[in-house]
Amino acid sequence: MLSHFDQYISEILITEDAIAQRVATMGIEISVAYENSLPILVGVLKGSALFMADLVRHMDIPLEMDFMAVAGYTSHEQLQSSGAVRITKDLDNIIEGRDVLLVEGIVDTGMTVGYILRNLEARQPRTIRLCTFLDKPARRIVKVPVAFRGFEVPDRFVVGYGLDFRQLYRNLPYIGVLSGEATGLNRQ
Amino acid sequence: MAVITISREPGAFGEEVAARVAGSLGFLLVDSARLAQFWQEMDLDEDDLTKVDEGGVGEDRVIDGEHEACIKMLPDLIAQLAEDHDLVVIGRGGQGLFQNRPGTLHVRVVASRQFRIRQLQSHRNLSAREAKRYIIDLERQRSRYVRSLYRLNWANPSLYDLTLRMDRLSIEAAMHLIVSAVDEMRLQQVPRRLIVKDLLPETNERKSDERFANDTEKEFARFLEYYRIPYQYEPRTFPLETDGQGKVLEAFTPDFYLPEQDLFIELTTMKQSLVTRKNRKIRKLRRLHPEVNIRIFYQRDFYTLMAKYGLLADASNDIFGVTDP
Repeated sequence: MLSHFDQYISEILITEDAIAQRVATMGIEISVAYENSLPILVGVLKGSALFMADLVRHMDIPLEMDFMAVAGYTSHEQLQSSGAVRITKDLDNIIEGRDVLLVEGIVDTGMTVGYILRNLEARQPRTIRLCTFLDKPARRIVKVPVAFRGFEVPDRFVVGYGLDFRQLYRNLPYIGVLSGEATGLNRQ
Repeated sequence: MAVITISREPGAFGEEVAARVAGSLGFLLVDSARLAQFWQEMDLDEDDLTKVDEGGVGEDRVIDGEHEACIKMLPDLIAQLAEDHDLVVIGRGGQGLFQNRPGTLHVRVVASRQFRIRQLQSHRNLSAREAKRYIIDLERQRSRYVRSLYRLNWANPSLYDLTLRMDRLSIEAAMHLIVSAVDEMRLQQVPRRLIVKDLLPETNERKSDERFANDTEKEFARFLEYYRIPYQYEPRTFPLETDGQGKVLEAFTPDFYLPEQDLFIELTTMKQSLVTRKNRKIRKLRRLHPEVNIRIFYQRDFYTLMAKYGLLADASNDIFGVTDP
């Protein structure tokens, strides 16, 4: 069905079924953790969009949702407006005194999520915890405390279920490994 | 680093605006609580902070040398913080301390007297008379502080880049205006050497891009700066082998140190044969200094990082038919 653009997927790492099963379990785990609270789930756009949408449908407690987005790194030559990370979509809600669950699609080097955590902590929530669908600890530079984790993945270039390469592949229903031919890595 | 100073009339929501700006930009908020925290970390008496803060300075007509030195500790502390952090400084004569410093935005938050009295009445549960008295007292203290330290009239509009009148602005709107000003003035792009030149002597850690040995190191440093991860470049050399007289025969200097992570990072883009040599040195380092946390970033790791951000343009452009990532 997706054959017109999945020709560069060298391997399916996590199937659609495995994702559904794990997300359902995570929904229950997180509901238990927040059963006496009204948490606000903050999804980091765009990588967490699909995960967040599925996760909340498996949570049976009252909750609020919000989203934020930061501009990803671009090379020096392309940096024009600012040399530092910028929030391109900020929260609509005030999180001071709230229980915040930051929802990420993947934690890799930890740089982006580390920045977001620092930023949100400055707003003085009551608690803040991190939930990530995928965790790639092999490449971690910035230590971040992961409270809820979907899957630990090896050091491969993964796409699908919200995760992209150049904005593509987010709509793959599974987690696939993108070939070096597509990423350019096999030419380095 | 970038600094935003916020001078505020009492009751004009200056503190609230400052906190939102700091939160939105990820800047460190320098307010009474933060200063008290740093003051404590320096093992100084909390009572002394009260004496040298806005409320206490200028009350005595005679200021002796010791008191004067003490008064200067607070601005010195804030100037030191600005070396390593992007700051939002509430009051404390920020407009005087950083008056001509590049990379600084001076904001004044004002409101009509009537508005401020109403605001204080509802937030502090004061009568109109008490609120008025409160405003007059605080204005007198703050004005005295700025005059006494910098010989400036804090109400002089030419001290500020941006003045916000809060009668018709929400805190949110004020925050957005300041963030836009930061953007427009490209505050975070002001080269660090220009900033430090004005206030502090240049140190080894604050050299320009030329200090890096190659483009990979330069690019990696930009990654760290982009995500505001503090780092030091080649801060430490580990002796690996010494002769009988203690002379160092072999040593290893990792490229980066990330103090918050307590992590050394060695980048390599070298040929395989040289990587092997480097690997051997790292193994030796780990054996001699097991407490040292070090990670080697191979060429492939670096390219993966680049690929993640779509920066390995050549190959993927061919495939995806795009020219601009």
